[in-house]
Amino acid sequence: MIPIPTLRRRDAIRVLAACMADWFMPRRLFAQGRSASRKPDRRVIVVTFGGGVRYEDTLAPQGWINIPHLANELVPQGLVYPVAHYEGLTGHFNSTGALVTGCRQDVDAYGSEAPVTPTIFELFRKAHGLLPDEAWVIATNKSFSLMGGSKLRAFGDPFAANVVLPKQLLIETIKSAVSTNAGPGVEDRQALAEQMLSALDEGYEGFGWRVFESGRPLRAELKATLAKSLLDYFNDPTVPTSGDELTFFMTKEIMNRLAPSLLVVNFWDIDIAHYGAYSLYLEAIRRTDRLVYELWQHAQSLPQYRDRTTLLVVPELGRDGDVAGNGFANHRSGDESCRRVWLVALGAGVPKGAGTERPIRTFDVAPTVAQILGFKMPESEGKPLVELAF
Amino acid sequence: MIAAIQFDARLIGEAASLARTYSELLQRLPSTIHAFILVELQKWPMLFGAEQRYQRALLQVLSRFAEDELADAVSGIARIETEARLDTIATRDPVRFQDEAQAHLRKQQRVQAWRTEVDRFFQAVDPAIEAQLYPADAPRRLVVQIYGSNIAVQTDKLWSRFKRSGMRIPLALDAGGSSEGFLRALFGTNARDETTPALFSAVKNAGGLDAVDTWIVESHEALHELCGGNTVPLTGISFDRLRTYRDELTRALYDKIKSGVESPQAFAAYARTLKIAPETNALLSSTEIVRSLVRDVFLTGNGTLFVNNTFVEWTAVQALRRAQPRLLITRFGVRDKLKPFSSLLLFSQPRTSDRIPLIEDPVGSFVDVEQLAYYVWLNAEKNAAYRRKTLYLFLAEGIDEMLAIRSDLDGSPSTVAPRATLADVCATMAQWLGVSSQEIGGRAIPVLVT
Repeated sequence: MIPIPTLRRRDAIRVLAACMADWFMPRRLFAQGRSASRKPDRRVIVVTFGGGVRYEDTLAPQGWINIPHLANELVPQGLVYPVAHYEGLTGHFNSTGALVTGCRQDVDAYGSEAPVTPTIFELFRKAHGLLPDEAWVIATNKSFSLMGGSKLRAFGDPFAANVVLPKQLLIETIKSAVSTNAGPGVEDRQALAEQMLSALDEGYEGFGWRVFESGRPLRAELKATLAKSLLDYFNDPTVPTSGDELTFFMTKEIMNRLAPSLLVVNFWDIDIAHYGAYSLYLEAIRRTDRLVYELWQHAQSLPQYRDRTTLLVVPELGRDGDVAGNGFANHRSGDESCRRVWLVALGAGVPKGAGTERPIRTFDVAPTVAQILGFKMPESEGKPLVELAF
Repeated sequence: MIAAIQFDARLIGEAASLARTYSELLQRLPSTIHAFILVELQKWPMLFGAEQRYQRALLQVLSRFAEDELADAVSGIARIETEARLDTIATRDPVRFQDEAQAHLRKQQRVQAWRTEVDRFFQAVDPAIEAQLYPADAPRRLVVQIYGSNIAVQTDKLWSRFKRSGMRIPLALDAGGSSEGFLRALFGTNARDETTPALFSAVKNAGGLDAVDTWIVESHEALHELCGGNTVPLTGISFDRLRTYRDELTRALYDKIKSGVESPQAFAAYARTLKIAPETNALLSSTEIVRSLVRDVFLTGNGTLFVNNTFVEWTAVQALRRAQPRLLITRFGVRDKLKPFSSLLLFSQPRTSDRIPLIEDPVGSFVDVEQLAYYVWLNAEKNAAYRRKTLYLFLAEGIDEMLAIRSDLDGSPSTVAPRATLADVCATMAQWLGVSSQEIGGRAIPVLVT
């Protein structure tokens, strides 16, 4: 065998990117897919503190230290609901499923089944006759590939959101790159792929389960371009990478390129709490807090979003209490701590510097989005947040 | 109630004898409870003594219930079983029945309701079981939790979860500079046997305590090295000493992942079939049951394969729940920082300059162990074996203060304890356990032992 010189990370990425050249398509192709008709003027971004956080670790006074941007920068600009409840099954898919449908869901906890009632994405696109690029789910949690649409015949894939799982996209990209015989170091590239898989394929509750195929995959050229930009991003050695950093980057890319009206962004690093390291859980909360703030700043920097966007920030669920539950590492007891969350709204239609003790439910998020974007939500268990102007 | 299922549990020995003795009672129980008891009996040789005693007591207590009293206690579970049509399950194997029953309950969205009724049932029977197993004059227990010297302890935040509990006792640390010196002073030096700390010698000489009654669980190896002679009956589990076993398990699991896994449940089922065991010398008292406990911790405890202190907490909690040792000592250490995944984007043989070294996280470790030590205490206090019978000591190597909590006392003692030496702490532990402290040299701290 011919000895192969060892490459640095930047070189390796460059090789991978080169191997993907046949995927790459110019940006202008996106113009062909853009929807022009009946696109509402308003935009909505829903960001979840995915994985689940406890009230005591976040919005309670002793938790403010972990959410400095929310507490000091965003809440004063918006409206806070300190008392929100999630009433469904305390797994990730079902809790986020409840956020996007307004109904409790009881489907496979690990994402092999789509929600059983229509999602905001389907109802939104169907009501306005919009193309898929108007509604997106960008998720760190790899079990969310079926979050974009329900299993209902009248809805489903034709009206579902685009779903992108940035970590999985990166894995696919690397797999694709190493599967060719072109370029140097096939053995090294295989080893690289294995290392990347083990690094990216984490699941904090247990690892290794399948990523389910979405019924309606991304358009090939769109997927290729997003993958290329992801690799370029990864090529920057200063990037402090985590799953949520990739999700944040991908969200910005999609906003910059497509300016969709509806985005649901799932950050999920917080679920590292399952590893039992409280400091890592708090660190992930702080990262999510920063990313939410930077996402809002980014939205304000884009003319397509400035002054017309409503941001809703909400944990998908809580985590167990110390005494009544099993502690921060879990979210399975169903105790109050596991269900008590909060919601922060800001931007278009939201009163500034306000707060209300009125208890709300996470089921209220979907009908609120519906009200803002002008579509009906007939099956929702929740109600629009009346404090917002629609 | 649905007609009783005739399970085929294939029991042997004492388990079979128990099933025969209580066969009529078992037939009157709802199927899910009946299956649960049979599954525990099937595991009989792999149950700790405390678990066996619980099963015997459960059957005895239930057999004392009047017929209508028992019917009332199980009525909620029986109703849900009927509604969920668990009588349609054909299998007679109790393990498979449990799996299929859970699937039925899940499918019909009755898991939560069933769990509530099961909790209600055990709330009704547990007081009688606990009164039988843990009378007021049951032996005292001791739980000692130690933070290793490399943890970046912030003294103003130390044991902050216990602000309203126990008492802080100032310590004079004459010999406590290094970890080894601190631990030797804490557990005492034995003039006649330098390889065995005095406390453990005293426990051994007192008799009555075997290896399953005395546990050390640690992230690194300092406690194991202290007891290196292995001359005392002791169960010892160290995350570091299990490195080879962890590597083998991780490799086997990752190979499975690469070949494709359908679900976490399928993955767990595969993990249960693995025949990998810790090396014999990796554990102190490497009995089959302890090896099985270690394996279960790694396979069911999230993060225990990767985070040393999480492993310590999970193992300690399992030991408290299952083995119920009279003396449990945990020692937490510094964990490594998790690498950002981009740092793994290196080729298979990275140059030295490219290699990302493991970096310790002493500051994060302090935040972690504050929470984990609290959880060990919480779990002990949830257990009737420890409630109102236990002295908890919290120490941090190199820190001139300790926290002591007597669970048999309400509130904190109002007196201020004078400064104590580590030898005094050692004598306190010995006296609390009722073993001779003659060779220890220190004087027991009165407020903790009287």
